[in-house]
Amino acid sequence: MKGHGRIIEYALSTLARRKFKNFSVAAVFSVLIAVLSSILFLMHAYKTETLKLLDNSPEIILQNMSGGRHELIPTEYIGTLSGIAGVGQITPRYWGYYYDSLTSANYTLMAFDETMRDVKPIDGRMPAADGECAVGRGVADLRQVGIKDDIFLTLGTEQNVNLKIVGTFTANSAILTNDLVVLTKADLIKFFNMPADKATDITIEVNNPAEVSMVARKIRRTFPDSRPILKNELLRTYDNIFNWRGGIVLIMFFGAIAAFMIFVWDKATGINAEERQEIGILKAIGWETSDVLQLKFWEGVVVSLSSFLTGLILAYMHVFYFHAQFLAPVLKGWSVLFPKFEPMPYIDIYQIFVLFFLTVVPYVAACVVPSWKAAISDPDSVMR
Amino acid sequence: MLRKSLICVLLIIAVSVAAYAAEPHKPSASDKCAVCGMLVGPHSKWLSQIIFKDGTVMFFDGPKDMFKFYFNVPTYAPTRTQADITDIYVTEYYTAKPVKAQGVVYVIGSDVMGPMGKEFVPLTEEKANSFMVDHKGQKILKFDEIKAADLQSGDMGMPGHKH
Repeated sequence: MKGHGRIIEYALSTLARRKFKNFSVAAVFSVLIAVLSSILFLMHAYKTETLKLLDNSPEIILQNMSGGRHELIPTEYIGTLSGIAGVGQITPRYWGYYYDSLTSANYTLMAFDETMRDVKPIDGRMPAADGECAVGRGVADLRQVGIKDDIFLTLGTEQNVNLKIVGTFTANSAILTNDLVVLTKADLIKFFNMPADKATDITIEVNNPAEVSMVARKIRRTFPDSRPILKNELLRTYDNIFNWRGGIVLIMFFGAIAAFMIFVWDKATGINAEERQEIGILKAIGWETSDVLQLKFWEGVVVSLSSFLTGLILAYMHVFYFHAQFLAPVLKGWSVLFPKFEPMPYIDIYQIFVLFFLTVVPYVAACVVPSWKAAISDPDSVMR
Repeated sequence: MLRKSLICVLLIIAVSVAAYAAEPHKPSASDKCAVCGMLVGPHSKWLSQIIFKDGTVMFFDGPKDMFKFYFNVPTYAPTRTQADITDIYVTEYYTAKPVKAQGVVYVIGSDVMGPMGKEFVPLTEEKANSFMVDHKGQKILKFDEIKAADLQSGDMGMPGHKH
């Protein structure tokens, strides 16, 4: 170990001798790692967050279709639905979109129901009586209101509500609740002027997951004009969307990756005369080939590992402290009211390992291999 | 007055003890099927259990293994007999909740596979017919109608899963 220590010391002084070159290598390396791992971190955080939220979503969401478009669904369907074997709790949902011309943003208005009892986290409480509402962080910020303030929504002279805010969703749930306004069913029906016997859609719980597709098939048979959306399909779709968006961003940075590869390749295929001479001198003063290889190995490790870690830390700060300001617009979607998404630091160790083996290991190899070629040749011929 | 309240207390104790004995248990992560030895945790939708007089509970990864045990208690638990059994629970297919094994019917020959292949699918009586249609069941059996011979019949069991 003492021998290693001396070689590392020597490696560091060698690196320090070519300060500018090594520093720029490390800088490029760090930036590349930071970019790549930012993308990976962010995608992973998004995916984990979304899938976690979908975990609580019902097995089947039933929409009514008319002319291929989403239509209000008659609540009388519920009676027939509850007769299907395997169906658990059935809940009609009342919701809709509202374009707020004041702030030029779209809000999602949703009626409070029992299934939302557990929606957390929230400051304050859910609306209990008509005239009360709970709003998402984005809505609260745009309207510059908070708990106990009033919020006025209007669709014309007849359809308008003045709501007292009794709760706000906290930032942790922003990806789904950012543009949300939760109000009572009566207020929502009045606001959207919905017919009394219709709901926006119907959620259906299925107790035995093995029966979901059978239940969906029966629903399609009974109500040919309806569209059951399965949770599995939702999960798959979200997964695909995030993978696709992540892929697009990766392609954008393909140039950077290619440049790095060329750079490593250039290093791997040859070392300059100066380095060659240095190896010759070391051999001449009695260094073994293995010592030279160790030296080059440590040089590679010092540069690549420190840039790898720097890159990771930069990416972590970028994604989890600065909320991925450079990447978020591309990866999140194109809504008017952006969720100010503060990703939870979920990290996939597997991804970090993959990144490590794709960058640090080739770099170290590229440092050692050409020196090994130089080191096994005669020092005399090398120095000449 | 004292006697009345004493009887009352005794009655409450008796009822609560009976209720306790009747409660279906939840398996821990390490509980295994008493017949085939597979972990029962991952197969909660098929979980069956037999509760004995002394409160011991045996878990099974499906009604089929439960019946195997039920018809041959001494083979699997040498110190016990069928008479020691107080309660049997199976998991009803559609509700995924534990129910008394005697209170439901069993469909055999359907296309629904349990962890050990073909199964006796536990169903409430009113849902059994729709299940028969949906899953091509062959026969509806009551708990008492199931005989040890049904377990050996050709359509039960899976190749490579012989006990």
